[in-house]
Amino acid sequence: MFAGSGVKVAVFDTGLSEKHPHFKNVKERTNWTNEKTLDDGLGHGTFVAGVIASMRECQGFAPDSELHIFRVFTNNQVSYTSWFLDAFNYAILKKIDVLNLSIGGPDFMDHPFVDKVWELTANRVIMVSAIGNDGPLYGTLNNPADQMDVIGVGGIDFEDNIARFSSRGMTTWELPGGYGRVKPDIVTYGSGVRGSGLKEGCRSLSGTSVASPVVAGAVTLLASTVLNRELVNPASMKQALIASARRLPGVNMFEQGHGKLDLIRAYQILNSYRPQASLSPSYIDLTECPYMWPYCSQPIYYGGMPTIVNVTILNGMGVTGRIVDKPIWQPYLPQNGDHIDVAVSYSPVLWPWAGYLAVSISVAKKAASWEGIAQGHVMVTVASPAENDSEVDGELTSTVKLPIKVKIVPTPPRSKRVLWDQYHNLRYPPGYFPRDNLRMKNDPLDWNGDHIHTNFRDMYQHLRSMGYFVEVLGAPITCFDASQYGTLLMVDSEEEYFPEEITKLRRDIDNGLSLIVFSDWYNTSVMRKVKFYDENTRQWWMPDTGGANIPALNDLISVWGMAFSDGLYEGDFTLADHDMYYASGCSIARFPEDGIVIAKNLKDQGLEVLKQETAVIEGVPILGLYQTPSDGGGRIALYGDSNCIDDSHRQKDCFWLLDALLQYTSYSMTPPSLSHSHSRVVPPTGTDRPLPQRLEGNHLYRYSKVLEAHLGDPKPRPLPACPHLSWAKPQPLNETAPSNLWKHQKLLSVDLDKVALPNVRAYRPQVRPLSPGESGAWDIPGGIMPGHYNQEVGQTIPVFAFLGAMVVLSFFVVQLTKARSKPKRRKPRIKRPTYLQQQQQQQTTTTTTTTGKNPTV
Amino acid sequence: MMVLRRLLRKRWVLGVVFGLSLIYFLTSTLKQEERTMRDRTLLEVRDSDHRIPWKVRFNLGNSSRQITQCRNSIQGKTLITDELGYVCERKDLLVNSCCNVNAPSSRQYICKSCLANGCCSIYEYCVSCCLQPDKQPLLEHFLNRAAEGFQNLFTAVEDHFELCLAKCRTSSQSVQHENTYRNPQAKYCYGESPPELLPV
Repeated sequence: MFAGSGVKVAVFDTGLSEKHPHFKNVKERTNWTNEKTLDDGLGHGTFVAGVIASMRECQGFAPDSELHIFRVFTNNQVSYTSWFLDAFNYAILKKIDVLNLSIGGPDFMDHPFVDKVWELTANRVIMVSAIGNDGPLYGTLNNPADQMDVIGVGGIDFEDNIARFSSRGMTTWELPGGYGRVKPDIVTYGSGVRGSGLKEGCRSLSGTSVASPVVAGAVTLLASTVLNRELVNPASMKQALIASARRLPGVNMFEQGHGKLDLIRAYQILNSYRPQASLSPSYIDLTECPYMWPYCSQPIYYGGMPTIVNVTILNGMGVTGRIVDKPIWQPYLPQNGDHIDVAVSYSPVLWPWAGYLAVSISVAKKAASWEGIAQGHVMVTVASPAENDSEVDGELTSTVKLPIKVKIVPTPPRSKRVLWDQYHNLRYPPGYFPRDNLRMKNDPLDWNGDHIHTNFRDMYQHLRSMGYFVEVLGAPITCFDASQYGTLLMVDSEEEYFPEEITKLRRDIDNGLSLIVFSDWYNTSVMRKVKFYDENTRQWWMPDTGGANIPALNDLISVWGMAFSDGLYEGDFTLADHDMYYASGCSIARFPEDGIVIAKNLKDQGLEVLKQETAVIEGVPILGLYQTPSDGGGRIALYGDSNCIDDSHRQKDCFWLLDALLQYTSYSMTPPSLSHSHSRVVPPTGTDRPLPQRLEGNHLYRYSKVLEAHLGDPKPRPLPACPHLSWAKPQPLNETAPSNLWKHQKLLSVDLDKVALPNVRAYRPQVRPLSPGESGAWDIPGGIMPGHYNQEVGQTIPVFAFLGAMVVLSFFVVQLTKARSKPKRRKPRIKRPTYLQQQQQQQTTTTTTTTGKNPTV
Repeated sequence: MMVLRRLLRKRWVLGVVFGLSLIYFLTSTLKQEERTMRDRTLLEVRDSDHRIPWKVRFNLGNSSRQITQCRNSIQGKTLITDELGYVCERKDLLVNSCCNVNAPSSRQYICKSCLANGCCSIYEYCVSCCLQPDKQPLLEHFLNRAAEGFQNLFTAVEDHFELCLAKCRTSSQSVQHENTYRNPQAKYCYGESPPELLPV
């Protein structure tokens, strides 16, 4: 019978009241906030603690575990990094085993916090954290759940669908040069889960906040079943969870991670575990849809930007480790493995418990016009210092194989290839880059990464469905061969440009490359207006650019006599029979006179933001098309707003416009709906008004890859060298791999059939689906984890007292049966426990706009 | 059997059994109550009689080593500090979790990377430096006037080694604007003062 005994669990949340009836083993409560209380005023912390360790009514996973309650959130949901730092230090001192953080925020560049989380896991604290409630938008992962050493948990409903709110998409730390890691790690119930109510009773709640303690509770229970506790560490626990998780059909890995938590299988794996390294994901099958989306959505071809898969190495052998020699690339000759080139980069030191293994895949020149499937594998050996080895210099090693399978097609024609400029997109964190739609006041930051696989996912899907091949440029403009591409797509760019980039782009366009720019607003008065006091960093935040960096863009396009203005416009209109919404965009200030310019009547949003006045401006130029004059020269299209192709806060999409613009830039076909539009106007010369200047005293240089601080104005840095991949020397094998790679991946030396089942079977979640209308309703007593504990509620009463009572009871029974003739002296009365049931409404979530950590309700 | 039954029938026997059970029940319940109460006072003043057992300097030498099992700093990427103040590379850690004092990398009470203000760039050296016996007055002074936010932490510290492990960690004293270090280089401090504030 395992119920978490001997495992120390810390709940970092809003506290817990002292005499809550659901908890029998609250070891300690501490307060780290500026409020002088230990009690929970919100119910969030109580609920979370209940899911882990409640012993009655709505039961948790591990009622016997030792609970340590850390109050790090005030009743107003305020929290600071510094409170966390001190509380985390205390958790390390107390040798906490499992720590639940149903908390997260977008700031993965909060170094003191991120370093501290690493420090915790390095001290063997198993961190479980909620992935965030910002779905279904991609690029919304929260920190610390997005860290390699943390178990990041997403939410599903009782029908095994990914919960709409569950954050998803790759991690965005690695942009622009690299590619994100797979997160969440696993998913579990997070919708309508039942847990402890604030004072008593149960309630149901939804959010990844709820999913996280389900995993934390399971982890606690699992840890208590392992005989040799030395084997349990943040890596081995995560390895067991992801190797046992059940994959959900039809959902990609950037939404479900490795799948749904399976406690029984995790138990089997953990109890036959031997220290080893493993990979997440454990194989690379770029043909497998939808699990390996977006990789499976576009085949690879010769000359394309290398496809990067960012694999995480989990090392259960020790907190620190290293890769021995170099990873080896072994193409399978019978399966055309020699048609691809592979380059591998990896963490020099795997610490804490994990590291990355970034695999870049490119098509070899000999397969430039070949079509087919190529396979091979990468072998990696990981070594860690042996801690229980008597020899000095003893090392544990573990070798893992990463199978690779890709689909190759002949290189598509130039016109079908679109290059997405990632390098010039800046985002929060680190700097304050404001949202492109100023109406979205509760979400002021541009924090989703601005990548085709995060918040421009729909646009990417659309372009793929139209037959375009989209690649990502994570390096300066000087680093790509323009003769390969039809169109360079620059959307919502915040970065500055190296002078060399400006020169190169001009030359490229003269030679036939086309350019599409989706700009956004930039108005220094509005920028000053949208500054705000950030509660989390306790300082004023002034944006470093507008929605886009128009002064920088103007430097880039001025050579063609083009410029954007600092006007700020908003409004609905119709263009070529399509309903359009212009959300905080700019206008075109200058355009060559032989170009096509479309103008619309729009509201002056600048005036509205600054003076709360409404004014409609007639004939605002928003769209421009231009054929450069040189022989075989490319075309340029400008549009003043990016919101209609961005997934975040989009109201009406304008993918049709993007199609039309690509028809123009890639195939030189001018859409008649635009060239013969009633809205076509004479191109503006813009000589009447000065062009926008950079905001005085902005701190863009702090976050820019291009600028550096300088006396007076910041100056461009020297142009960095273009990224160079050193391809691994292939060691071909005359081998073939199975066609389905997934089934063949598992942790080494684990034979599930041989592991006896423990008596934790009763903990298998038997959840009752909650229909939308009854989410606040009471459930049958037993809650999310029914079974066993109902008979065990009396365990707190000491055994002796119970035996004593039994003796008394048996005496009365004897008295009653043996001496019936005697008059009864006393009638035993048995009191039945009654369940006081009381209805509680599900707490409505209030969204607070903070850059820091939020309880992910 | 008859004797037992007769004994059981005696009301006073039952009374005693019942009474004992009741007393046990009440005491164990109350004990739990008391424990929660004590936890709560953690937030308040430090016990005046809470004393840190300062570790006396060990006579070192291979044979006279008095310790058989070490606690160490666990977390390090490459370095480890044991409770005797030795810093060594992970590979030079013995089975008993102590540094192999004969390994070339092992050094005791080493203040490498530490500045005059008591802040170091490398955690393991901070701990080792803090374990120097002559740092004891400094640490005692700090403990006596530890900031309020640290009450929880430093009340729970048991000895010199635990104190140094805890003191050298980055904390609320290490940051400015919450999300940046006051000094990203020398951020591990055994001394009283926070890291030197560097401009953003």
